[in-house]
Amino acid sequence: MGLAIHDSTTLDVLALLNRRFGPDEIVEMVALQKEFQIFSSDHSLEDSFYLLGIMPCDRAERDRWFKFLGTLKNYESDVPNVNGYDRVIVAFEQTLIILPHIPPNPVLPLFVDVHAMAEDPRVTFSDGFPLLFSVQPYKVLSIPTKPGRVARQEAANAAKARRAKKSKK
Amino acid sequence: MSLSAKADGTSIEFGSQVLSDVYSDVEAYYGARVARYGATPLGVDWSCQATQMLRFVQLLKICDFSAPFSLNDIGCGYGALAAFLAMRYPKSKIDYLGVDLSHAMVSRARRRFSGPDRRFVVRKASPRIADYSLASGIMNVNCGHSRTTWEGYIATILRQMRRTSRRGFSVNFVVDAARRSAEPLPDTLYRTSSQPWIRFCERELGCSVETIDDYGMKEFTLLVRCNQTAAA
Repeated sequence: MGLAIHDSTTLDVLALLNRRFGPDEIVEMVALQKEFQIFSSDHSLEDSFYLLGIMPCDRAERDRWFKFLGTLKNYESDVPNVNGYDRVIVAFEQTLIILPHIPPNPVLPLFVDVHAMAEDPRVTFSDGFPLLFSVQPYKVLSIPTKPGRVARQEAANAAKARRAKKSKK
Repeated sequence: MSLSAKADGTSIEFGSQVLSDVYSDVEAYYGARVARYGATPLGVDWSCQATQMLRFVQLLKICDFSAPFSLNDIGCGYGALAAFLAMRYPKSKIDYLGVDLSHAMVSRARRRFSGPDRRFVVRKASPRIADYSLASGIMNVNCGHSRTTWEGYIATILRQMRRTSRRGFSVNFVVDAARRSAEPLPDTLYRTSSQPWIRFCERELGCSVETIDDYGMKEFTLLVRCNQTAAA
């Protein structure tokens, strides 16, 4: 996302995630989690998404997507001392778990969203109604991001500053 | 809903030329898929490896893993089931034979998974009788054929599976979209309710049938248990 992969790829992957974990397919995902424990501390997020086919079609973009997932380890989350990567795994795991209850509670679909890193640098997980045109409640997982162009400009400025500092010495 | 007269197999013979055309189209279809997507779930029309594995879990419920057995995998594709068996049941002794119409699929399966108890052949039907047979997803894409023709093809496959299975076989179908799916599905996807095929397996093939339809997917699996001797 942002600097990591193309904007169009980000949209594709978000659409894919929100279809597979949306109201129509969440039951299937629950069944998969129940059978294989796809999201757990025993498996990397990269492996879980690979198994579910949550990845770009383009091979180069796919590599960048998996690399981006790894960078989530450097993100903060809304839970103290839990990094963004682990928070994402727990969010999927908690979404797909069926807690014993009589009568059984319906499983809420998961909506994967992004928000501006400048406003909140943390990976967040909450309940909500993310679709203004729908009354369907969701679990909402939100990843902080910044536009690729902004990230590149910031990286260029930082490099320029480093060079200037070096030349002064 | 009922099966067509051809599929019932009672009044109209399913023409060999028609069947031959269907086989050719199926082979061409999956040959093109694997050429485009390679030996991956997409290459055999599944959305991902996880759903493919969940289907295998249901289909394999026909098998008794407490003792060695032989298994025919009809429409084996690139051999995903062989890999799944090795991963999920590493200690079980299974004499596996993968059967597929597509040369392209079988050559990939052989390259990846061939072994002493793991063979692959290009055939329309299994050349041997095994304890069990299973077929995952091969009834789903009708390649543009009419419902009548496609049901005749399915009936042919089920008869072949009955003939080549000592103890039982299992198959899966996409459930009727009208009842279970909010999204429109392509016309090339064959959808059905379970009842006609349960009746077919019970009455025509003389088997007992168990249905599994609670595994979260818009489809169902039939576990078909053979009664005594194989049908003619």
